[in-house]
Amino acid sequence: MAEAALPSFATREEVDFVVIGSGAAGGIMAKELATAGHSVVLLEQGPHLTAVDFTHDEWAIDHNGEHMWGASHGHPQTFRKSESDDAEERETVCGYAHNVGGSSMHFSGNFWRFRPIDFMEASVRGTIAGTNFADWPISYEDLEPYYTKVDWEIGVSGLQGSWDPPRSREYPCAPMPIKGPDVLLERAAKSLGLNPYPAPVAILSEPHNGRPPCAHCGYCNGFGCEFNAKSSSLVAMIPLALESGNCELRTYSTVYRIETNAEGRATEVLYYDADGNEQGQRTRAVVLCANGAETPRLLFLSESSRFPDGLANSSGMVGKNLMFNGYSTTVGLFDEPVNGWKSIPATRVIHDFYELDSSLGFYGGGGIDGRHPSRGTPLGFALSSPFMFGGASWGSDYKRDLAYQFSHCAAFDGHTTSLPQESNNITLDPNVQDKWGRPAIRCTYMDHPDDIATMRWFYEKSVELMEAAGGTNIGGFYAEDGQEGNVHLLGTCRMGTDPATSVIDANHRTHDVPNLFLCDGSSLVTSGRGQPTMTIMALAFRAADMINQAAERNEI
Amino acid sequence: MSKLYPNEALTEAPEKESNSELNRALSRRQFMAGSASLARGSLLVLSMPAILTACREAEEARSSGAAFQTLSEQEAAELAAVAARIIPTDETPGATEAGVIYFMDNVLGDERRVELLASLRDGLREMQYQVATDYSESYFHLLDVARQDELLAKIETTPFFNTVRYLTIAGTFSMPQYGGNRDGIGMQLIGMESRPAWAPPFGAYDADYMERGE
Repeated sequence: MAEAALPSFATREEVDFVVIGSGAAGGIMAKELATAGHSVVLLEQGPHLTAVDFTHDEWAIDHNGEHMWGASHGHPQTFRKSESDDAEERETVCGYAHNVGGSSMHFSGNFWRFRPIDFMEASVRGTIAGTNFADWPISYEDLEPYYTKVDWEIGVSGLQGSWDPPRSREYPCAPMPIKGPDVLLERAAKSLGLNPYPAPVAILSEPHNGRPPCAHCGYCNGFGCEFNAKSSSLVAMIPLALESGNCELRTYSTVYRIETNAEGRATEVLYYDADGNEQGQRTRAVVLCANGAETPRLLFLSESSRFPDGLANSSGMVGKNLMFNGYSTTVGLFDEPVNGWKSIPATRVIHDFYELDSSLGFYGGGGIDGRHPSRGTPLGFALSSPFMFGGASWGSDYKRDLAYQFSHCAAFDGHTTSLPQESNNITLDPNVQDKWGRPAIRCTYMDHPDDIATMRWFYEKSVELMEAAGGTNIGGFYAEDGQEGNVHLLGTCRMGTDPATSVIDANHRTHDVPNLFLCDGSSLVTSGRGQPTMTIMALAFRAADMINQAAERNEI
Repeated sequence: MSKLYPNEALTEAPEKESNSELNRALSRRQFMAGSASLARGSLLVLSMPAILTACREAEEARSSGAAFQTLSEQEAAELAAVAARIIPTDETPGATEAGVIYFMDNVLGDERRVELLASLRDGLREMQYQVATDYSESYFHLLDVARQDELLAKIETTPFFNTVRYLTIAGTFSMPQYGGNRDGIGMQLIGMESRPAWAPPFGAYDADYMERGE
């Protein structure tokens, strides 16, 4: 195995790069920098799990937080809807997997590209009062080659649809086979004159890059893939980074500070190792890819007299403009077995409502796909089925309903926009600390009225689709009072050309610290339509390319 | 999405209403409690769990007929009786056959569920008080099932009942290594076959779709 040839860098000697976080962005960053010949130390706070470690153990994963550590693992977070509220301690608010590959290890793999409009929407639609709705400093054309790199190097299955943005190369893998919920969705959508098409997914439908295709086991979203068919950075990038011989992966390494020198350059990354000992890795440059909650926390923790409001925060934008993406779900029952609990989460998507008509009086847009209402999990379904479909919640009637409903149900889910607002943010909690003594992540969040109106619109459209599909016992949900947590953690160190209103430039270099780069969900300027990881990965390939070019020019 | 947490406590009991009704507004709130949001301040959140280790012991304990590790015989008899009304044994096996009580004994022994166990014991005492006052009997498990159901209907909105419901369902549908779901009874109940791989068509609608060449 490649790991036998792993380098071991001395902490007191400078490496070229320390990459903090090995997730969707960090895994790509480590691979791209290391294969370009740079020495890289990749720090990951969780373990290096692989396919043999993954199970169908719903109790461990969903009910004991095996991958998504929370308060019970020594990682509490706090939440409040507004600054005037007291933040309440929660098991978790901003959710993410703690392991090599980060949340790409267990994601649903919905890999819609953003469209050209996403990068210039403020210009086209106009700015929105009270928000930081803005254009990106890059265009779809700038990012397209890197989307294609994700398709081919990470591994995406799909088919160019009528609504898809232009692409320079076909998908490497054919679309995944359609599932029951999506047959129902597709037929309903066509009856309403809409244009459903195969959902692009980061799951292999056929062998690609030495990995096997999906076996349709059904334990997908929230679970690690036992077949290496899910295209995580864990399976697609980390092995290449390690095989380069230039990357040392240090697991169970929890970073608590980035040190800077008198010139304002990053010099060393301080972390706790697996045994809880303080370590410091000296480095020529730092690439922070810790996610949209952890990245701002670490910048705040790295404050100094030179950077009193947190590292790279002269704009005051670190931690701000947090965007979750909105969400709605509509469920129904059908006469024949749907069996949505098999195979992958979603195989069709409706993108006719990517941009809602501005005459509606609010801003928003999104997509709708077909799924199993509880990700196909039996325990989760059995807990919630009476609240979805009505009926008894215990006793023989409950048991009989449950036996029928698990295989005869479908969900149509809406995935929608969130507006960037300064009042939605990540800060350090003044009262609660994690097991390392670091201040807990405090999340302040209330969806914008337009975001809630958008969720409601998608909920109602999904009900219409569910009725057209012939569903009965139709029910559902959207966060009419605002979301109180999510796993999409976007916008908290936004990209921009103006150092007064953004944290990083178009090439992911912080405006304030020349050898500090940030790349993860925090880089996004706007939220897209609910499936951000494809874009996070494309940004990571592009950022790595820009960093490698800068290194070539000796401009780090 | 927050859908990754379908497990949170059900602090509200389901409101009885017609299945045929298109209950958009109502079920939204219940649905959120049931599958999407964190329910604050309930028993379950206090307990919210905690990695389990050494779960195989429970399975071994059950199969060997060993004594309970965490619960007293009396507590186990009471909780097993409540579980048996939540997922009853009727034309198909229920919580009793699934070994739910062994799952409960196992997971309640986790040190991070100390508070949950204490709350459950309080709830048990309250239930037994009600058994005594309403039926002049000492233990829930000694009541006939009609009276058991009658009593549970009175307490079905309490955190105690919702916690026992949660543990009963978890014990029925979690992997057998935790002590319940004996012989895959839970999966069989809902027609879910646990296989490492499937091939399309997965269900009736996609089979029809393939057949028609859509």
